[in-house]
Amino acid sequence: MTSAILTGLLVGIAFGFALQRGRFCMNSAFRDIVTMKDYTLLKTVALALLVSMLGFGIMAMTNIITPNPKAIIWGGNIIGSFIFGIGMVLAGGCASGITYRVGEGMVGAMTAVLGLTLAAIATAMGFLKPVKTALQAVKVPAEGSSLTVASILNLDYATVAIGGAIILGLIWWFFARKNKGGEVFDAHKDASLTDKIFKYGWSWFPTGVVIGLIGIVAFPLSAAAGRNYPLGITSGWLKIGQMFMPSVPFADSLKWDMWLIVGIVVGAAIAALIAKEFKVRMPPGRMLVQTFIGGALMGFGAVCSTGCNIGHILSGVPQLSIGSLIAGTSIVLGAWLAAYLMFVRPMAKE
Amino acid sequence: MTEEIKATKTLDVCGEICPYPDVKSMATLKKMEKGEVLEILLDYPLSVERLPRNAAKWGHKVLAVEQLEGPNHRILVEAFGLK
Repeated sequence: MTSAILTGLLVGIAFGFALQRGRFCMNSAFRDIVTMKDYTLLKTVALALLVSMLGFGIMAMTNIITPNPKAIIWGGNIIGSFIFGIGMVLAGGCASGITYRVGEGMVGAMTAVLGLTLAAIATAMGFLKPVKTALQAVKVPAEGSSLTVASILNLDYATVAIGGAIILGLIWWFFARKNKGGEVFDAHKDASLTDKIFKYGWSWFPTGVVIGLIGIVAFPLSAAAGRNYPLGITSGWLKIGQMFMPSVPFADSLKWDMWLIVGIVVGAAIAALIAKEFKVRMPPGRMLVQTFIGGALMGFGAVCSTGCNIGHILSGVPQLSIGSLIAGTSIVLGAWLAAYLMFVRPMAKE
Repeated sequence: MTEEIKATKTLDVCGEICPYPDVKSMATLKKMEKGEVLEILLDYPLSVERLPRNAAKWGHKVLAVEQLEGPNHRILVEAFGLK
């Protein structure tokens, strides 16, 4: 119990610190490709996935962890995650993005988190529960078993994860070497190392490595606290929301994933305060409505799909879960549709 | 140090959420004549780094990225003339 508080909080603080310093956000990663042809954050996400995959593989091989890939839930993974993807563009951040920005003082992120929490509760146990039940009705294969890339290939998880991470890494390195792009604009090229860590934003490479490593550390620590899964966001906010519900025993909320969320907000606030980037930022009023609705779509989608972008993409894809790969694809497609309608089309018209 | 640069236009996107600081700035730059200077006031850390990178990619010239106070920044960009 005490260790769950301690490890959940510490992993959360490290995660929040890294998210804030690296400006890590999957919403930007996927959306920026279509809105501004910017691939920086996408590279960060890809690198974090490879690092986690390698680490999970090694830990599975040495029996430090037992992989726990999510089962396929067709309706949830396809429709729920697609709605999640639309929601995150409206909210101006993915689940982890809006969480760390709460610690930065962004009011728009706070309303998004509020929408996410309320909708997650409504979907898990409230008036939207029948919709969730309907979406989760079709399960292939049967509940409890979960298909992975490794199980399809009839191979051991560790082999595929380690081998896959190394092969994909080498392919990436080969192509990156072949097409070395032009000079990247860097305003702080000559800054000291301390300034580069605490004052200015991290570049994509260290961010990807650090986020991937935090995922690796999170897995066994979370498992030791009785929750055999690496990082996740939505379930923690759901538990925070349930603290205010008399029908749910308070102790049920005091779990590892809840402390993780508290840690992320604290860690991001620490990082932002040191960098002097903390500021209560109030967007125009209609934006608060937009981010609230976006957050609500995310909360609904994540509960239906049993995971947000962190649970499915950052934690699920490195475990090679087919359900997470489907959910991840749907999140990206939903984000692209929303980004096209909200930004690409209006800009082309002007 | 960049006091002497005279901005043709000022765009204040403080408080805006992701990605509006970038989207609004790029849309404004697109409509400006070659050589005109846009002054952008913003406080969103991700955009402070992403905006100069993408403005340069589209051919605009980033004249300055100045930190004012805390997360508040002032970015000066000379339009490439995409009109």
